Formats: sequence, structure tokens, C-alpha cells
Amino acid sequence: MDFELSEEQKDIQKAAREFARGEFDPDLTLELDQNGGFPEAIWKKAARLGFIGTHYPEEFGGQGLSLLESALVIEAFCRGDSGIGSALSVVDLGAELILKFGSQEQMRRYLPPLVKGEKRLTVAFGESEDDKDLSHISTTAEKREKVYLIRGLKKFVLNATLANSFIIFCKKSVEGWLPLIVEKDQDTMEVHPIDKMGLRMIPSGDLYLKDVRVSHENRLGKKGEGIDLFQYFHQVMGLRSLAQALGVIGGAFDRAIKYSNQREQFGRKLSQFQVIQHKLADMEVGLEVARWLTYRAAAEFDKKEMDPKPLLVAQIEAGKRMTWAVDEALQIFGGYGYVAEQEIEHFYRDAWAIRSLLGTEEELRDLLSKKILGKG
Amino acid sequence: MIFELNEEQKFFQNRVRKIYEREVAPLVDEYERQETFPVPLFRKLGEEGLLCIRCPREYGGPGLDKVSECISTEELNRICAGIGAGIMVHGGLAADPILRFGSEELKRSYLMPAVRGEKIGAFGLTEPDAGSDAAGIRTVALREGGNYRINGLKTFISNGTICDFVTVSAYTDPAKRGAGINLFVVNREDPGFSVIKKLKKLGNHSCDTAELAFDDCCVPIERMLGEREGGGLEQLEETLKSGRITYGARSTGVGQAAFDTSLSYVKEVRRGGEPLKRSQAIRFVLAEMAMSIEVMRYTTYRGAWLFDRGLAKMKDASIVKLFCTESLQRIVQKAVEIQKEAGLVMENPVQRYLRDARLFKITEGTSEIQHLVIARDLGL
Repeated sequence: MDFELSEEQKDIQKAAREFARGEFDPDLTLELDQNGGFPEAIWKKAARLGFIGTHYPEEFGGQGLSLLESALVIEAFCRGDSGIGSALSVVDLGAELILKFGSQEQMRRYLPPLVKGEKRLTVAFGESEDDKDLSHISTTAEKREKVYLIRGLKKFVLNATLANSFIIFCKKSVEGWLPLIVEKDQDTMEVHPIDKMGLRMIPSGDLYLKDVRVSHENRLGKKGEGIDLFQYFHQVMGLRSLAQALGVIGGAFDRAIKYSNQREQFGRKLSQFQVIQHKLADMEVGLEVARWLTYRAAAEFDKKEMDPKPLLVAQIEAGKRMTWAVDEALQIFGGYGYVAEQEIEHFYRDAWAIRSLLGTEEELRDLLSKKILGKG
Repeated sequence: MIFELNEEQKFFQNRVRKIYEREVAPLVDEYERQETFPVPLFRKLGEEGLLCIRCPREYGGPGLDKVSECISTEELNRICAGIGAGIMVHGGLAADPILRFGSEELKRSYLMPAVRGEKIGAFGLTEPDAGSDAAGIRTVALREGGNYRINGLKTFISNGTICDFVTVSAYTDPAKRGAGINLFVVNREDPGFSVIKKLKKLGNHSCDTAELAFDDCCVPIERMLGEREGGGLEQLEETLKSGRITYGARSTGVGQAAFDTSLSYVKEVRRGGEPLKRSQAIRFVLAEMAMSIEVMRYTTYRGAWLFDRGLAKMKDASIVKLFCTESLQRIVQKAVEIQKEAGLVMENPVQRYLRDARLFKITEGTSEIQHLVIARDLGL
């Protein structure tokens, strides 16, 4: 048993923390959050410094590290700010699918521009409320000579208005489930933006696909791999969201400690009241629990055959710990916590948005209990 | 013991429900988006007699009881908590002290127009450095001949940008912590009064919330509530007691709205290839919501009933506020969670319920303060 990060991991964590401390600016955050803007300059700089795609092999511009190191970066960024950190953590959504299932050519073509901060990739999967299940997909890819013609509607696509390419899951045909890599095309793709409560720096949208033409070479994975690819996608999404959640707990905790040591009521600092001290103690508990569950799930993922149980356990527990910690941090701030000038206000909204990415407790328990009972 | 509203109360409930659905519901989206209060609503609800529900007929009010006020509050907050906040502060916190402690002249010149919605009231207690610790306010009102000269800063003031008058707390004797406070009615036009800035908030967007400054703001001595200097905190006690019971009704209203949305969602949606309503876990979630709302509503009515009989202690009001505002959090959180991404969309009211409800654990005494009040009453 080894409960310590390696020296290299600690260095990455430290570098990411320093980057967040130096580059994230509360005024900019407030503006981007309120107006739904993307932190373009910070993204470019983060990419220049090697914070995007650390887990890609070196030949594609990455550092050849594992997903745990990527999770450490996401955690540090989200601890710096829930909004900016989350925005930076989804610029290459779906890259792991190309890494695991893609051809050499696909990797060469799509991965290096992500690492360099030149392009953004996203995944268009869900079509209805039932997005943990493949069977709900009705988007079709009709096979023609040389191309597929894609028709359908994908809902809640992250970075819908910003992404340069999309991995689109299409309905089962004779070839099985069809994940296709599609480059943005103004004429056949239409995005309807969604105004949402949290994670406002990540523009979401519904994606209308009207006879989008994609070459046969853009098929991701081989025949019969669709289901594996789908499960793998949910695991990667789960891990990324977990790292975000962990960062958000830390961010709420940092701010709560700082404020408790500043604010005085009844002639005493808030940190001198037992009730406040205990809230902080419980946040520390939440942070530790979420941290080790997340690191373990990430480490598990980096093995070849992943056991999905640690990931589900982490998603259920860290999700609750996160919204609890942010809620209590806001409570410590009192009225100030409710006002947008204090960062904890958007942490609260972002936490609930991350919680929705993690999935409902009920559906996660459904999945976990199936594993425990040997039914899934 | 009768656990039923009487005929008059039932009739009133039915009437206000219709009025709020007709007059308020169509305004919600627009004013939430603009982050302003629909000001003309004051006159409209004034005409219907719904602004100061407990104000006696001799001052133009309907003279109803606290239970009726809670009925109205629940129905209004079911439609919109932000608009509900502006109406509540006006008719409760701002007008109540004038009704209870104001001179005939003040009642005629402020309360009566407030009842009609011709003058909008705000309540100025909280300051940048004095939230939970109300006795820690630093605003002073010092006597100068026939005037009081007020200096200080107030924050988180609902109706701050739209008010015509503010019921302000200030020290007439700063040396006497707690005891040296008085309440004053300050006019919007009084020299030295200004609105510094409007605050952007997590929720309750349609309620204007602002920071107010009093810079050598002179008001005639007649605008002090009560005849002697000191005793303002005791006057505030009664107002806050009533206000905390109102929070039970506010919570029940938002909880009911979140529940209604959740119930219809669960009935419509399929998940994992099955209707969501067949999920045992989801059925339990809805059952728990329904249970909480029922207990919240009756706890509120009990507090109001005690209040109407002059039996409510601060502890009783604190129990209502603490129980209802905390129970509400679980309801709105589950309501958002079960809808997943759809629950985050600004067009979906369920995310508004989450943001609005979060205020309730903070304002008019945080949950921590309510615990302290209850513990003190236990003789601890």
C-alpha cells in the first residue's frame, strides 16, 4: 500500500496550483461567469505550459503520464476556481476514446492540436433523459459510398459552440453502434445554445445534425466495439467530473477557512466558534474522503481492466461531499456568500452542475448494486 | 384541536391563489431575468388588500390574522420567491414596526400609503460588519435640536433601490450596546440618503437588493418609532418573531413548487428503458418530499396560531424557521438532482427554486442563530 503521490506527481500538482494562483483572476472569473465567456487566454497559456493532455503519449504532444496526473491538474485548477478550472478540464473531452480506440492516423490528426491549445474536442452522446443507456440513441448514420450521412439531435453537448470536432454516437446499424469523429460544419450542423445555472464558462447546446457528411475513415473503433467505447466514455467522464468535484471541495474549504479567520461577529472571529470549527473539520473529512476515493478510481482506471466499483463509490460519495462542503462554506459566508462578488456564490452553482455530470445518486446506486449483486 | 383551516381562511386561500396566478405568474420570467422588481405590482396587490395583511381596517388593511398572512405568503412564494421577498419585506419588516410602535402621524403618512402600495417600504438593519450580531450595528442617530442626524451603511436591503421609505435601526446611544438602539423612518428624498449599489445575488433575482448609505442624513424627531431613546432591539424582536414564522410559509411555498415540478417530471420521464416512476428509490424521494412539505406547512400554521394568540415566544418562531428552511434544502436539491442536466437550464424553474431557497438559511437570522435562540430558551 502506498498512500503517497510520487515526486513527479507532486511536482505536477504544485505546478498546476501555482498556475491557478498566478493566472486565475476573480474579476475575470466574475465577468466570464456572468456573461458565459470562455477563458481563452488562460486556456492557451495552460496548453503552452503542458497542462492539457498530460496523459497522451509523447509522440502526440503529451507527457506520456497516466490519467491520475491529469486528475491532479483538474483538481488543482478547480480548487483555484470552479468555473475556470472546469472549463479547462473539458477542452479535450473524448480524447481518451481516440487514445484507446482510434487509429494511428486519427491520433496523429486529432490529439496534437488539443495539446497545443489550438482546437477543442467534445462528445455528443445524450439525446434524452435516458443518457446512461445506449438504447435511447436514435441519431442515424446512413452508409453511402465513401461517406456516412448523419441525422439526428444531440442534447446538452458540452462546449457545443466552441468545439472544432465532435465524437458523435450514432444508432446501431449492421455495423453495430457507430461512434464517428465529425469536424464542425456550419452548413449541416446547428447549435442551439442552452443558458444554464452553473458551469457557465462551458457553453452547452443542443446539436442538430442535418445530413452531416463524414468519411468512412472517421469511424472510431472497430465493429463491435461500440458498447465498450460507450462504457469507457462514461468512466472517463466520471473521472473527470470527480477530479472537478475534488477540486471544488478544496476551493470551498480554502475560502471558508480564510473567511472564518477574517470575519468577526459578537466580538470574535468566526473561527473561534465551535460550530464553525466543526464545519471546517467536516470539510477536511470530506476533502480526504473524496481525495482518496478519486485517486484510487483514477489509479484503477490506469490499469488495463478497470473495476467499475471504485469509480461508482467515488462518484456517489464525492458528489455528496462536494455539494455539502460548498453549501456549508456559503453558510459560513452568510449574506456575503449569497452575493456574486464572493466566489463561493458561483462555486455553489458550479457544484450542482458538476453533480449533474456525475449522475444522480439513484442511477449511480442502480449501477453499483448491479455490480455487487453480479447482475451487471 | 382542529387541524383544518376555517371557511374564511379556505376562501382566502382560494382567492389569493387565483390572484397570484393571474397577476404574478406572468411576470416571473421577465423580472427574474432583468433582476428587478415589478414595481406596479405594489399598487395592484394594494388594491386587493394583500400587502399588509394584518394591518387593521382603521388604517386601510384587511385586519386578518397571522395564519392568513402565512396562507398568502405560501401561495405567493409558490409562484416566485424573489417577488415574494419584496412583498414580505414591505408588508412585514418595514410596515410592522410602524403599525406597532409608530405615532398616529407616522401611521397616516407611511403605513396607510404602504397598505395601498403607494409607498414602498424597506427595512434597514444589516450592515457590512453586523449580520448575525444585530447589536453590533454601527449606524448612529444623534440628536441635534429637533432632528436626528443619521450616519452609517446598510447592506443586503431588499427593495433598496425602489423604496420610498426605510425603517432603519441606529444607535441613539452608542455606549449602550444593544439597549441604545432606535428605529427611524427615513424618506427616500431625505438629504444624505443614497443607494450606493445594487447587489447581484445567487437567487431571489426579482427582489431588488442594495447597499444604502446615510451620510449626515437628518430626520425630524417625530420619525423615531416610540417616544423614548433606546429599546429598539425589543421592538425589533416582535418584528423578527413574526418574520421568522413567515419564513415557514415562504419555505412551504417554494417546497410545494419544487415538489409539483418533480412529480410531473417523474410521471413523464423514462430512464433505463423504464418509466422513472417505477423506480423504488425515486418513489421514496417523492414520498419524502411530500412528507416534509406537510410537516413544514403544519409547523408554520402552529407558529402562526401561537402568534395570533400572543403565545409565540422567539423560540417558537425560530423552530418554525429552522425546521422549514432546512427541510426545504433537501427538497429543492433532490428536485434539481433528479432532472440531471435538464434541471440546470435557466428556462426550467427547478434551478430557480434551488437558488432561491438557499437564501432562506441565511436571511432574518441564520440557521446557526436559530439554534442559539432555541438553546437559550432551554435554559442552557
